[in-house]
Amino acid sequence: MDFHFTEEQRILRKTARDFLEANCSASFVLEMEKDEKGYKEDLWLKMSELGWMGLIIPEEYDGVGGNLLDLVVMFEEMGRVCLPGPFFSTIALGALSIMESADDGLKSEFLPAISRGELKLTMAHEEPDFTRYDPYSVGLKAIKKGDAFLLSGTKMFVPDAHVADSIICVARTDGQPPARYGLSLFIVDAGSKGLNLRPLKTMAGDKQFEVSFNDVRVSKGALLGRLDRGSDLLDSILRKAVVCKCAEMLGGAQKVLEMASGYAKEREQFGKPIGSFQAVQHHCANMLIDIEGSRYLIYKVAWLLSQGIPAVMETAACKSWVSEAFKKVVSLGHQVQGATAYMIEHDMPLYSRRARIAEMSLGDGRYHRTVVASQLGL
Amino acid sequence: MDFGYSREEEEYRERLCRFLDENLTEEIARQNWEDRGVGSEGREFSRKLAAYGFLGMSWPKEYGGKGLSPTYEFILLDELGKRWGCHVPLDVGYTMVGPTILRRGSEALKSEFLPRIIEGEIEFCLGYTEPNSGSDLASMQMKAVEEGDYFIVNGQKTFNTECHYSEYHWLAARTDQSRGAPKYKGISLFIVDMDSPGITIRPLWTMSGERTNEVYYDNVKVPRHRMVGEKNMGFYYMMEAIGSERNQVFIPMRLYSLLQELVQYARDTHHNGRPLAEDPLVRDRLAQAAIELEVARVLADHSRWLESNHMPLSYEPEITKIFTSEMEQRLVDTGMQLLGAFGLLMEDSPRVPMRGRLAWYYLHSFMTTIGAGTSEIGRSVIAQRGLGLPRSY
Ligand SMILES: Cc1cc2nc3c(=O)[nH]c(=O)nc-3n(C[C@H](O)[C@H](O)[C@H](O)COP(=O)(O)OP(=O)(O)OC[C@H]3O[C@@H](n4cnc5c(N)ncnc54)[C@H](O)[C@@H]3O)c2cc1C
Repeated sequence: MDFHFTEEQRILRKTARDFLEANCSASFVLEMEKDEKGYKEDLWLKMSELGWMGLIIPEEYDGVGGNLLDLVVMFEEMGRVCLPGPFFSTIALGALSIMESADDGLKSEFLPAISRGELKLTMAHEEPDFTRYDPYSVGLKAIKKGDAFLLSGTKMFVPDAHVADSIICVARTDGQPPARYGLSLFIVDAGSKGLNLRPLKTMAGDKQFEVSFNDVRVSKGALLGRLDRGSDLLDSILRKAVVCKCAEMLGGAQKVLEMASGYAKEREQFGKPIGSFQAVQHHCANMLIDIEGSRYLIYKVAWLLSQGIPAVMETAACKSWVSEAFKKVVSLGHQVQGATAYMIEHDMPLYSRRARIAEMSLGDGRYHRTVVASQLGL
Repeated sequence: MDFGYSREEEEYRERLCRFLDENLTEEIARQNWEDRGVGSEGREFSRKLAAYGFLGMSWPKEYGGKGLSPTYEFILLDELGKRWGCHVPLDVGYTMVGPTILRRGSEALKSEFLPRIIEGEIEFCLGYTEPNSGSDLASMQMKAVEEGDYFIVNGQKTFNTECHYSEYHWLAARTDQSRGAPKYKGISLFIVDMDSPGITIRPLWTMSGERTNEVYYDNVKVPRHRMVGEKNMGFYYMMEAIGSERNQVFIPMRLYSLLQELVQYARDTHHNGRPLAEDPLVRDRLAQAAIELEVARVLADHSRWLESNHMPLSYEPEITKIFTSEMEQRLVDTGMQLLGAFGLLMEDSPRVPMRGRLAWYYLHSFMTTIGAGTSEIGRSVIAQRGLGLPRSY
C-alpha cells in the first residue's frame, strides 16, 4: 500500500492549483453563472495548451497518456475553484465514453481533436418523464431506417449542450424502460436537424439543457459500442465519470474546510477566536472526518478502476458517501462562518449551491445505495 | 391538561381563515417571508388585517388592543404560517419591538407607537448586530453620546434586515463609554426615524435573494425622549424580550405548507408508471418530517402556554427555535431527495416543479440556524439555563 501521489501528480496538482487560482477567481465564477455561454474560450485554449484536455487521452491520439488518478487530481483542483465550463462534459462524459467504447475509428476521429481543445462533447442521458435518477430508464427511441437511425425523444439535465460539438445520446433500440437490455449509445452531431435545446435554470447557474430530438438522423457509424447492449458500456463510462464528479466535490469540500477553519482562527467573539469554542472545534473536526473518508475512498476507487477492476460496489458507495459528505461540509462551513457567509458575494454560496448540483449529477445517494444493496445480494 | 382551544378562540380562527382565504396571496406572503421588502400589496394587506380586527387581540385596550389572551396572537401566526409560510407583514414592530415598548417605554412612546403598530401602519428594523459583534452582542461599539436633549449617534450596524422599507430603526447603542464597566451594562435602546440626517443604508444581498443592510450613523441626532426605558438598561430589555420573540418568530406551522406541497408532489408524480408516494423510502422520509412537525408544534405550544399564562420563560423558547430551525433544514433535504435533480430548478426554469420553492428553501435554509442567534449559542443557553451547567465563555 502507498498513499502517496507520484512526483508527476504532485507537479500536476501544483500547476493546476497555481493556474486556476490565477485564472478562476470567485468573481469570475459568479460572472460566468450569469453569462449565457458560461465560460471563456481563451481560458479553454490556455487549459488546452497546458495539456489538460489530453491528460487522460492515450499518446497515440495526441494525448498525455495519464491515468484516472491524474484526472482525479485535476478534478479536485477544478472543484476547489468551482471552474465553470465544459471540461467535465468534454472529458469525463465525452472523451471517456469514446475511450471506453474501444472503437478505433471513433477514437481517431474524436480523441486527437479533443486533445487539441478543438472539440467539446457532452452526454444526454436523463429524461424528463423519469423523475428519479436511473440510468436504464430511457425512453428516447432510436429506430433503424436503412443505414441510419432516427432518434426521437427528450433528454433532460444535459450539461453544456449549448457549446458541445457532439452529444453522446443514450437511446432505446429495444425493450421498454427501465430494462437494461435494449440501450444503445450514439454520438450525435450537435448541429443535426431536429435537435432543439431549451436552457434550464438551476440554482448554481451552471449550464444544463433540455434537449429534444425530433427524428434526428445519425449514421450507423455513430453507434458507440454494441447495438442493444449499451448498458455495459454506459456503466463503465459512468463509473469513471462518477469518480471524477466525486473528486470535484472533494476539492470543493476541502476548500470549504480551509475557509471555515481559517475563519475560526481569525474571527473573535467574547474576546477569543471562535475556533477556541468547542462547538466550533467540533464542527471543524466533523468536516475533516467527512473529508478524509471521502478522500481515501475516491483515491481507492480511482485506483481500482485504473487497474481495470470494475469496483461496482465501491464506486456506488463513493458517490453516495461523498455527496452526503459534501452536503454536511457546506452546512457546517456556513454554520461556522455565520451571517457573513450567507451573503451572495461571499465564496461559501458557490460551494453550497454546487454541492446540490453535484449530489444530483450522475445519480443521487438514494440511487447509488440501491446499487450497493444489489451488490450485497439484496 | 387541555390541548384544545376555547369556543371564542375557535370562532376567531374560523373568521380569520375566511379572511385569509380571500385576502392573502402567495405574493404577499413572499414579500414578507423572503424579505424582498413589503410592497404596496403587503402594506395594504397589513392595514386590512388590522381593519378587520385581527391585530392587537392581546394588546391593552388603551392602545387600541382587545386585552385578550396571547393565544389569539398564536392562532393568527399559525394560520398565516400555514399559508405559504406567511407572517404578520410588519412583523418586527408587531412581534418584537411593540411588546418591549409596552413593557419598558414611556407613556409618550406607548401612545406614539403602539396604536400605529396595531393598525398595521408602521414597521421597525432591528439594529443590533455590528461587524465585530454578532453572537457577542454586548460587545457592540455603536456610540450614543448625550448632548442636551439629544443623543449623538455614530457607528455602524450590519445585517439589519428590514431597514430599506421600515419607518423606524430599533437601535441598540453604547451609552456608557467608561472603562471597566461590564460591557452589557452600558447599552441603551432607541427608536430612530429611518430618514434622520446622517443615516446611510447600503444593501447586502443574501444567497437566496433577500436583502439585508449595512447601516452607517454619522452624527445622527436622536431626541432624548426616543430612548426606551432607562439609560444603560438596553441589554436587559433585549434579553427579557428574547423568549417572547422566539415564540412569535419560530412558528412550526410555517413549515406546514412546504410539507403539504411535498406530499402533493409525491402523490402526483410518477416514475416508471408508479406514483412516488408508493415508494417506501419516500413514505418513510415524509412521515418522519410530519413527525418532526408534530414535535415542533408541542414544543412551541408549551412555551406559548407559559407566555400566555404569564409564567417565566427560560430555555423553552430556545428549544423551539433550535428544533424548528434545524427541522427546516432536514425537511428541505427530504424535499431535495424527493425531487432529485428537478429540485435544482429555479422558479423561472422550464420544467420546474413546485414553482421553484424548494430550491429557494434550500438556499434560504442556511440562515435559519444563524439568524436571531446561532444554534451553538442557543444550545449553551439551554444547557446553562435549563440544566444549570457552568458557563464556559
Ligand atoms: C439573514 C439574516 C438576517 C439578519 N437580520 C438581522 C437584523 O435584522 N438585525 C440584526 O441586528 N441582526 C440580524 N442578523 C444578524 C444575526 O443576529 C447574527 O448573524 C447572529 O447573531 C450571529 O452572529 P454572526 O453572524 O456575527 O456570527 P458569529 O457570532 O461570528 O459566529 C460565528 C460562529 O461562531 C459560533 N460562536 C460564536 N461564539 C460562540 C461561543 N461562545 N460558543 C460556541 N460557538 C460560538 C457561532 O455559533 C457561529 O457558529 C441577521 C442575520 C442573518 C443571517
